[in-house]
Amino acid sequence: MSIKRRHVLSGSAAGVASLASGFVGPAIAAPEPIKVGYLPALTGPSSSTGIGINRGTELAVNEINAAGGVNGRKIELIVRDTQSDPTKAVNGAAELTKRQKVNIVWGPLNSGESLAAVPLVARDGIPQLHPCWVDSLTDVKKYPMCFRDAPTNQQIGAAANHYVVDVLKRKKVAVVSDTTGYGTASVEAYVPMLKEKGATVVYQANIDAANPDLKPDMLRMREAGAEAIMPWSVNAGFLARICNTRGKMEWDVPIVGQTTLGSGQTKALLEKPEYWNKVYSNNFRNVCFGKDGKLPPRATEFVEKLRKAKIDMGDTLLWWIALGYDGIRLIADTVKAAGSSPEQITEYWNKLKDWPGVYGNITFTPQQHNGFQDDEVVMCEVNSLRDGAFNLAPGYAS
Amino acid sequence: MIESIVSYGLAVGAVYALIGITYNVMFSASRVFSFTAGMLGMLGGVLGALFIGKLGLPTIVGFVLVLACGAVLGVITEIVAVRPVLKSIEQHLYVLSTLAFALLIQQFTAIEWGTEAQPFPRLIPISSGWFDQQFWLPLLACAATIVGLELLYRRTLVGRAFLAIAEDSYAARALGLPEQRLRLASFALAGIIGALAGFTGGEMLLAFFGNQAILSFYGFVPVALGGMGSNRGAVIGGLALGLFQQAANFLVGGIFAAVAVFVVFIAVLLLRPEGLAGAAASRRV
Repeated sequence: MSIKRRHVLSGSAAGVASLASGFVGPAIAAPEPIKVGYLPALTGPSSSTGIGINRGTELAVNEINAAGGVNGRKIELIVRDTQSDPTKAVNGAAELTKRQKVNIVWGPLNSGESLAAVPLVARDGIPQLHPCWVDSLTDVKKYPMCFRDAPTNQQIGAAANHYVVDVLKRKKVAVVSDTTGYGTASVEAYVPMLKEKGATVVYQANIDAANPDLKPDMLRMREAGAEAIMPWSVNAGFLARICNTRGKMEWDVPIVGQTTLGSGQTKALLEKPEYWNKVYSNNFRNVCFGKDGKLPPRATEFVEKLRKAKIDMGDTLLWWIALGYDGIRLIADTVKAAGSSPEQITEYWNKLKDWPGVYGNITFTPQQHNGFQDDEVVMCEVNSLRDGAFNLAPGYAS
Repeated sequence: MIESIVSYGLAVGAVYALIGITYNVMFSASRVFSFTAGMLGMLGGVLGALFIGKLGLPTIVGFVLVLACGAVLGVITEIVAVRPVLKSIEQHLYVLSTLAFALLIQQFTAIEWGTEAQPFPRLIPISSGWFDQQFWLPLLACAATIVGLELLYRRTLVGRAFLAIAEDSYAARALGLPEQRLRLASFALAGIIGALAGFTGGEMLLAFFGNQAILSFYGFVPVALGGMGSNRGAVIGGLALGLFQQAANFLVGGIFAAVAVFVVFIAVLLLRPEGLAGAAASRRV
C-alpha cells in the first residue's frame, strides 16, 4: 500500500485528537517524588509520642503537596510503623534504604529504636533526621549524615539543673531514679553537672520503681536536708508516687525533672490534684505559654493552623505535633534549596543556621549535628496544661 | 516509721501470702508448680480498674466479675498449660507451658490495657487514716481466704477430696474420685484467690501489667520459706517477707532493700531447704 498525503494528514489528525482526548499518547515524565522514609512508633508502648509527632508530620506533607510540592516534586511519605520495637525499626530502616531507595529517613522517633536503626541507615549512606535525645545518637565521624532536630539528654539535664540551682536557688538537691538504664545513666550524668554548678547532692539513689511505698526514701531525703527533688524516670507510677508521698508528708519541696512528670498518665495517678503543685518538668520555650498567657507568635500561628485542619491537641502535646511538622518542613526546605541527593542534603545541613521551626530554631555545623539551642530547653509548670502546652515555670522571662 | 513498716509491710505481705496460697492450691491438686500465680494477681488489679474505674460498674459487681474472670483463667490454665504436660511431669515441661501462658496473657494485657500504671479505684468511700483500707483490705482478704480454705478442707466432702488428690492421686482415683474435675476445680479456686490478691492490693500496687513479675517472684518466696503446699507457712512467710522488706526499705533503702530480701531468702533455703514450716521429706527404704 502506497502512502498518500491524505492518509498522512488524516493519521496525524487522529493522533492529535487522541492525544487531546488523553486515550493514547506518549508518556510525559512526572517529576520524581521526594521519597521520605518515615519510622514512627504508631502502635505499642511508646506510641503516644509517635502518634503526636505523626499529626504534625502528616499536616506538613499534606500542606506542601497541596501547594504543588517542592519545585514541582511531591513528597512521598513511606511509612513503616516500628510498633515501638527496635527489631522492627531495624527491618523498616533496611527496607526503606535498600528496597524503597528513599532520599532521606525521618525517624525513628524513640531513642530505643534509633539506637538500633541509626548505624544501619548510616552504613547505607542515606541522610537521616531524628528527634531522639540519647547523646550517642549523633556522631559526626560515625554517622556523618545523621542530624538531630531536638535536644540531647545533656541539654535536658542541664536545663533542669539550671532551673534548680540558678532560678530556684536551691543548693541541696536529692537526685533519684528508677533502676532502668535511662534512670541510672541520667543520675550518673547529671549529678556531676549539678556539682559543677556548685550544688550539693545530699541524697542520691536508684529506687525500685515497683516499690509501692516511697516514704522511706523521701524521709531520708528530708533528713538529708534536700531543698529540691530531681527524679529521673519515664515511669509515671514512680513519679506519681513521689508526688503523692511528698503531698502526704506535707513537705513543701519542688520536684524538678523529665517531661513524664507532666504527662496525663502521671496526673491520673495523683491522689489529690494539688499534689501536682510545685512540680516542674522539661519543656521548650517556643511552645510554652509566657507570663502573658500567650504562646510565641510562631506557635500561635501554628495552633491556628491546627485548629483549621481540625487536628486534636487535647490528647497529646503541642511540642510533639510541632516537632513532626518541623521535621518535614526542614526536609522540604532543604530539597528546595539544595537538591535531594545525599551529598546535597548533608552539605546544606552542615551549613544550616537558625532555621526557624515552630518547635525550635535549628543550627548545624560540620562538627555539630545537634541542632537544638540550649536556651530553648526550659522548665514548665506541669499543672498548667491546656491545648497540649504548658506555662513557663516561674522565673523565666517570657 | 514503725507505723509505716507495720501498715505497708503487713499489707504487701498479705498480698504475697495470697499469691503463695495460689501457688499452693494449684500445686496440691496437680503436683505442677504453675507460674501463672503472678499473672492472676496482676489481672486482679487490672480487671478491677477496668470494671469499676473505667466501665463504672458498682464495686460489688466489679468484685464478683474479677473473681469470676480469675476462676475462668484458672480453668483455662489447667486445660491449656497443665493437662497436656501432666503425662510427662518428671520432665518439668509445665515450667515452660505455664510460664509461656502467663507471658502471653501479660503481653496481651500490655497491648490492650497499656504499659503505664493506671489508677485503681477507691473501693470503700470512707476517709483515709494511718491504717487505710489499702492496708487492711489485703489483710482481711488473706484472713478470709485462710479461714475459708481451712473450712473447705476440713469440713466439706469436696475439700476432703481435694486433700485426697493432693496426698495420693493414684489412690484417690482408685477410690473413684474424679481427679480431673477436682483438679479443674482447684485451678478455678486458685484463680479466684490470685485475682482476690490483686484486687484487694490494687489501691497499693495500682493497675499495672508489670506487677506480674513482682508478684510471681515475691509470691514464690513465702512458698519456699513456708514449705511447698503449706498454706499456713505461706501466710507466715508472706507477712514476714512484707515486714522485712519494708524494714529494709527504711534501714538500707533503694535497691539494697531488694538485695537484703534475697540474701535472707537464700540463707533460709540453705539452712532449711524444706522451708521454715515444712518437714524434711522422708523416704521408706
